[in-house]
Amino acid sequence: MNEPSETRPNPSEDQTLDTPESLEQLRDAVQSSPRVLAVGQRTKPPLSETDATLVCTRRLSGITEYEPSEFTFTALAGTPLTEITDTLAQRGQYLPFDPVLAGAGSTLGGAVGAGLSGSGRFRYGGIRDFLLGAKFISGEGEWIEAGGKVVKNAAGFDIPKLLVGSLGRYGVMAELTFKVFPQPVAQLSLGIKCSTHELARQRMARVAKSRWELFAIDYQPDPGIVHLRLGGPPQANDQIAEEIQTEWSGEVTNIPLSESIWAKTSELNFGPHDTVLKVPTTGPKMQQLCETLESAEGVTLHASLAGQLVWIAVSGNTRLRSIDTLLQSLGLSGLMVRGNGTCWLGSENGAGMAIGSQMQRAIKQAMDPTAKFPELPFPELIASQ
Amino acid sequence: MEPLDSLASIYPESRFSRDAAFQAAFESDGLTVFRAKPRAVVIPESAEEVIQTIRWCHEHAVPFVARGSGTSLSGGSLPVADGIVIALNRLNRILKIDPVERIAVVEPGVVNQHVSDAAASEGLYYAPDPSSQSICTIGGNLAFNSGGAHCLKYGMTSNHVIGCKAVLATGEVVTMGGESLETVGPDFTGLFVGSEGLFGVAIEITLRLLPKPEQFHTVLVGYDSLQAAGDAVSAVIDSGLLPGALEIMDALSIEAAEAAVACGYPPGAAAVLIVELEGPREKIEQERQQLDEILTSTEPFAQRVAVDEADRLFIWKGRKSAFSAVGRLSPDFLVQDGVVPRSRLGEALVRIQQLSAEANIRVANVFHAGDGNLHPLIMFDGSQPGALHRAEELAAKLSRLCIEMGGSITGEHGVGMEKRDFLPEMFDEPTIRMMHRIREAMDPKVIANPGKMFPGKEAPALSKVGLHPLEKAGVISRE
Repeated sequence: MNEPSETRPNPSEDQTLDTPESLEQLRDAVQSSPRVLAVGQRTKPPLSETDATLVCTRRLSGITEYEPSEFTFTALAGTPLTEITDTLAQRGQYLPFDPVLAGAGSTLGGAVGAGLSGSGRFRYGGIRDFLLGAKFISGEGEWIEAGGKVVKNAAGFDIPKLLVGSLGRYGVMAELTFKVFPQPVAQLSLGIKCSTHELARQRMARVAKSRWELFAIDYQPDPGIVHLRLGGPPQANDQIAEEIQTEWSGEVTNIPLSESIWAKTSELNFGPHDTVLKVPTTGPKMQQLCETLESAEGVTLHASLAGQLVWIAVSGNTRLRSIDTLLQSLGLSGLMVRGNGTCWLGSENGAGMAIGSQMQRAIKQAMDPTAKFPELPFPELIASQ
Repeated sequence: MEPLDSLASIYPESRFSRDAAFQAAFESDGLTVFRAKPRAVVIPESAEEVIQTIRWCHEHAVPFVARGSGTSLSGGSLPVADGIVIALNRLNRILKIDPVERIAVVEPGVVNQHVSDAAASEGLYYAPDPSSQSICTIGGNLAFNSGGAHCLKYGMTSNHVIGCKAVLATGEVVTMGGESLETVGPDFTGLFVGSEGLFGVAIEITLRLLPKPEQFHTVLVGYDSLQAAGDAVSAVIDSGLLPGALEIMDALSIEAAEAAVACGYPPGAAAVLIVELEGPREKIEQERQQLDEILTSTEPFAQRVAVDEADRLFIWKGRKSAFSAVGRLSPDFLVQDGVVPRSRLGEALVRIQQLSAEANIRVANVFHAGDGNLHPLIMFDGSQPGALHRAEELAAKLSRLCIEMGGSITGEHGVGMEKRDFLPEMFDEPTIRMMHRIREAMDPKVIANPGKMFPGKEAPALSKVGLHPLEKAGVISRE
């Protein structure tokens, strides 16, 4: 079982960091070490805590193909997310899932490996839904080109999806192709004051299935505000906002985008905390988490996706033991994406997870028969009977 | 005891058949060019019976094919000769509709449309809409990552499956994903969707539901050339609008649809474009003005906006019936499914016309223009010696054209039997080897839907070609 409070030496102190500048050098780097893990800008340190040789892709950077009318782009894995979002924005396009930690320097490959999506995941899907194709190096040093470069493709197994959240344990990503969407003409942000977590959950459920087709629904348990993001023509946004304000008269505030929570949330900036956990959940368990941790010192919660994802931000490692216990009691699992320590917390049975499945091991063996990459730092993620 | 007797012991007599006449109903699917006789057909009514059946198959190394409504257009549910067909139609329970979490948990035999029907009272729906949605099942949709007319905005089946309980070919029962939109760890659910039955059988599927769009704005536009219709699609895409659907039909498919369902498309049109916006009424009110301006600038010779829901469905009826309607123009036809980069659609259509002329074979075209997803329809008369072979040669050229243009051999029908020879042309050897390894990880004995997706030696003999009996009856249509 995991040891959430355990800390290990910072890998950068005792591990060679290879920084290839070409795809050939990348392959050489993979082949020259017995055990390898790819990293980008290391914005999510717990995910690369390993004794493997680190291969850094940050010099493999740049958008290699972008045709706005195709709604697709291809970029090298080390490309900073900001370069991508800026380039897309110049042509009125975007990645609708609110890429995470872009401002901190996260790379495209790191975003895929970590499998992180922000608040915008609610409307059109997450990073898994926008990834179309991946070129990566297998542990045997072979180039694998899976998926495709067109927005629709049902040929062969969807290996790119398997790379999402795989923490680089199946291969070293070199180039990735994504689908993009046109940016909404305008966005508008509202906050609904909620006196209890239960009320917040009810209101999120109400707006989530409403005709308004909201782009994002988040909840800040402290100070008890449900945040809504609308996207579309400004006049339409205003009309819908007016209806929402009428529905909860006196409790709804129009929040200027510059003061809204969306950018901070994408940066996992939830206050003066050094550790952030990603916890997939459901509405009722989100409520339980909020209630249980309401008065916990040094802990800030933030719910996204109308309550289906909770970010738990913590100061220091001392609280992690009790949070681990809490997650276990609720049958939830957590991935530590910021901080220092092992990246897995909570239940082995959360979200359908249990030790004993042959499948997870068999897939690892199939993807990486020579065990070039470290083991997944999880208990078995696939429940089995 | 015969090994098959031990399989029979799992089922009452009425749900286990070795009878040739009964099995005839399962010999083929939506790709009627292939037929094969299974050893037995079982009709489980519970997940436990599916598990026991697959464990029996694993123990005795007998191949099996899971089947829903048999609408696969790539031959994906074609039986394996001497294998077991697991007919899942009776696993058709909707186990849960949760309006708060906006999910549905269903068995694999649930018909696609029934999910939306069950969620309708909550203001929710299941977005993926293959044309056969009134009869195709969620299990089949999951296996083949089915598409539909609204993929541009909402993605394919894979984007809407958030969890899945499955029995692998080894007999192991696994649960992937869950009830949250998010997970941690590798996206195993994403890998399972679209695996064409080569890993095992999904027995419980968790689907994401979306709020039903409040309003639709559906426009039917007639053009005097295919090129003009294609240019209109580019104009819409470049405007920043994100329509729910962007569909084009050419003159031949319009003629067929008109003959079949009298859909009232503009007479004499060389191409029609269907554009559909959807969303809250305030947004549609703004976006429809923008769309009107764009479409006017494309100089169509006819334009009509659906006045109500019945009219909207009437417009869609022509589109959704187009392929089976082509049966009125030709005794036999092959449905192709390929993808090219959207900006190269015009070039692809010119090449298709050239190849059609060279082969002296008529080809009708219907396509999801927003996705670059082509559906050339190759017409021939199977009673003429060599006609099927020539049609298949043309189909092969069209698949290669898609690869050459940087697209895909299939956008939504899957590889199945039909395209298996082209998979190694789309992917290189190391990638194909990796796919084989993944398949063997799930199915070391290669008993789950063998002969599909990858080139192999299990091809059954070719036989009859023509409309699926359900298509003839007007029950189903092809995407």
